[in-house]
Amino acid sequence: MSEQALPLSGLVVLDISSFIAAPAAAVALADFGADVIKIEPPGEGDPHRHNYKNASYPQSDRNFPWQLDGRLKRSIALDLKNASARAVLERLIGRADVMIVNFPPPARERLKLRWEDIEPINPRLVYCSLTGYGETGPDRDRPGFDITAYFGRSGILDAARYEGGPPGLSLPAQGDRATAMTLVAAILLGLRQRDRTGKGCWVGTSLYANGVWANGTSAAGALIGAKLPPRQPPDRPRNALTNLYRTRDDRWLQLLVVRDDRLWAPFCAAIGRPDLAADPRFTDRGERRTRALELGQELAPVFAAKSYAEWEGVFSGTGIPFGVVGRLADVIDDEQAAHAGIFADTTNPEVPRTVNNPIRLGFAKPRTSGPPPAVGQHSEEILRELSYSDADIAALRKAGALG
Amino acid sequence: MTESGLPLAGLRVLDISSFIAAPAAAVVLGDWGADVIKIEGPDGDANRRIMHDSSNYPKGEVNYPWQMDSRNKRSLVLDLKQPPARAALDRLIATSDVLVCNFPPPVRDKLRLTYDDVKQVNPKLIYASLTGYGETGPDRDRPGFDVTAYFARSGLLDAQRYEGGPPGVPVPAQGDRATAMTLVSAILMALIHRMKTGEGSWVGTSLLGNGLWSCGVIAQAALVGAYLPHRPPPDRPRSALGTIYRTSDDRWLQLTIVREDKMWPGICETIGCPELLDDPRFATVEERRKRSGELATILGEAFASRDYEHWRKTMSAHGITFGVISRPQDVPDDAQAVACGAIVDTAIPEMPRTLANPIRLGFAEQQIAKPAPALGQHSDQILSEAGLSRDEIASLRASGAIR
Repeated sequence: MSEQALPLSGLVVLDISSFIAAPAAAVALADFGADVIKIEPPGEGDPHRHNYKNASYPQSDRNFPWQLDGRLKRSIALDLKNASARAVLERLIGRADVMIVNFPPPARERLKLRWEDIEPINPRLVYCSLTGYGETGPDRDRPGFDITAYFGRSGILDAARYEGGPPGLSLPAQGDRATAMTLVAAILLGLRQRDRTGKGCWVGTSLYANGVWANGTSAAGALIGAKLPPRQPPDRPRNALTNLYRTRDDRWLQLLVVRDDRLWAPFCAAIGRPDLAADPRFTDRGERRTRALELGQELAPVFAAKSYAEWEGVFSGTGIPFGVVGRLADVIDDEQAAHAGIFADTTNPEVPRTVNNPIRLGFAKPRTSGPPPAVGQHSEEILRELSYSDADIAALRKAGALG
Repeated sequence: MTESGLPLAGLRVLDISSFIAAPAAAVVLGDWGADVIKIEGPDGDANRRIMHDSSNYPKGEVNYPWQMDSRNKRSLVLDLKQPPARAALDRLIATSDVLVCNFPPPVRDKLRLTYDDVKQVNPKLIYASLTGYGETGPDRDRPGFDVTAYFARSGLLDAQRYEGGPPGVPVPAQGDRATAMTLVSAILMALIHRMKTGEGSWVGTSLLGNGLWSCGVIAQAALVGAYLPHRPPPDRPRSALGTIYRTSDDRWLQLTIVREDKMWPGICETIGCPELLDDPRFATVEERRKRSGELATILGEAFASRDYEHWRKTMSAHGITFGVISRPQDVPDDAQAVACGAIVDTAIPEMPRTLANPIRLGFAEQQIAKPAPALGQHSDQILSEAGLSRDEIASLRASGAIR
């Protein structure tokens, strides 16, 4: 597969964004052929480069998140606050197709990076905006993060909990990465519009709107006054046969015996408790529901006596349905994940495998990534493409505009 | 905004899918102007009944999930197991641009709805496939749901739990809706490819792939052998500045201090404990991490002393990044939810507001939601547009192939 055959080859994308949602959208474009130029502040660059030291991240001495969100990009270190940098930026904008920005609105105004500032420079540009909370309204200037805007504010964390327990948990950048796919869709719609009209445009999304979208069923219910029923914790099930049970090795088994009208006796036999099938307390479905708590108390110690793998063996071939609560340690070697194209090899020895773009195309494969760029690694190369001379480049460096 | 001004005006989409992820992608295409034809079996999409069937759905008097996932679609009932109905479908395929399909692979084979089958009928067609677990591999035929494929199998639920606690709880259709945006992006990539080459194509994504994309940070970490320990419960956080606190009115605040060095003085001031600034126990990031339990106790007492509204105002005033853990019922009245475009008016009298898709475009507004179709509401209209005569339609109906 030649790079020319990729659907976004020839597209120049300026990634003037930081952290995760917006840069991850730029990655998804690069995966399918776009030339992504990351514009970063000289010195430390995008703060996301240092996120792997974050206490809420898995600890590693390898910069794994940067591989994921920096792959296939070229880096130019440009100090946008420096007056000499503006001309460089405008030249970059002049030949770009897409520009991705996630500065909060006040910083955009200060840096003259709003769409109305940019449109006169390149009226064919697709300007893509990511905000935490939208472009207007009381909280538009508030910096938004995935945990606050996507998960907290949208009602997901409150809804994703067991009755009486603390709010649910989100994982690092979980909402950011889902939002990235919305940004990709927005950009592609913008490109389509440009092809139809010859004109560039503004497109965007917010973390908040994406959180509400993901929480759409509950939110749509709330719009008509319907409330999400509280989720019972596993030790207080509404139905003991579609409940979670802890195994001996501290894993969880999701029992899914929905057809207990047929499966009750085989289930009792399979778990080695034929006495339960004969127990008058649990003879029919109605009684098993009414006494769900009692039945749960009978079953919990049974499941706690064997390991997860042992239970898999016990149920295999019995037709008793249960759900896998996977662990990442297993997922990375899951044969099915390989078939689904979920992971990809890289040519970076430090991080030899990465998480693939979830978009699959019959006509093209995502590009293989090498090491992500160092801060300003491609500054000179990019400036030369813009016809800057060695003397110009030296002058920019001297002025402190370029790192 | 006239419909012709919408970026997908003129595009015809056949939504031969059920439940949520794939139909929601078709909704997004419809929001932006596509003519979406929903093709259902004689019993209709089971999503028409999910609000009643699922114990985890908020119950309402309006069938809000169906309204949301079917807005602006037209419904055609075809019993695809009957050859005349299958032949009628080919006539629709011949004049369509996109076909969205989420049948498990064996059903596609049986109904002759694989990409290889339909590209013979229309080589310019874009075939968008959604699966639970991918197109090949040992689990490709397994029906995938958002809870099992996106959340459980991916390792998300196992990772989303407090230390010692049960697995996390996703909210209904959370992963489905996020996946919908990936499917939209995949379809738009294919439209670009078709514009460049004149050729149709297969595109797709899987729920499992999207679950892992969303937890890409920890999945990428797992690929280099690093794992996230389970989160300690709120009273024993890893970082006292990145955890949740209960307010005096039993709500929760999510503290999200990313640039801790910069924000520490502001926090001390906000919570009315300026003396903490000079406290040698908490002088540096390292010291604060080391004594996170101690610090969390101090902060916990402070936050518990005032209500949520107080903290919202005070922290905003001090520029402290934090997240409100909204309850789903708070979202409909949140001015910012309207400002970011998440909540929009509809033309559905019994459900006057709904959720917009999260994509925003400067040049077009999403179509206003009109009532979702009754089962087979547009069968005659659609078939006659496809060139079937009145007699042909009547004989199809007489044979039970359409409704």
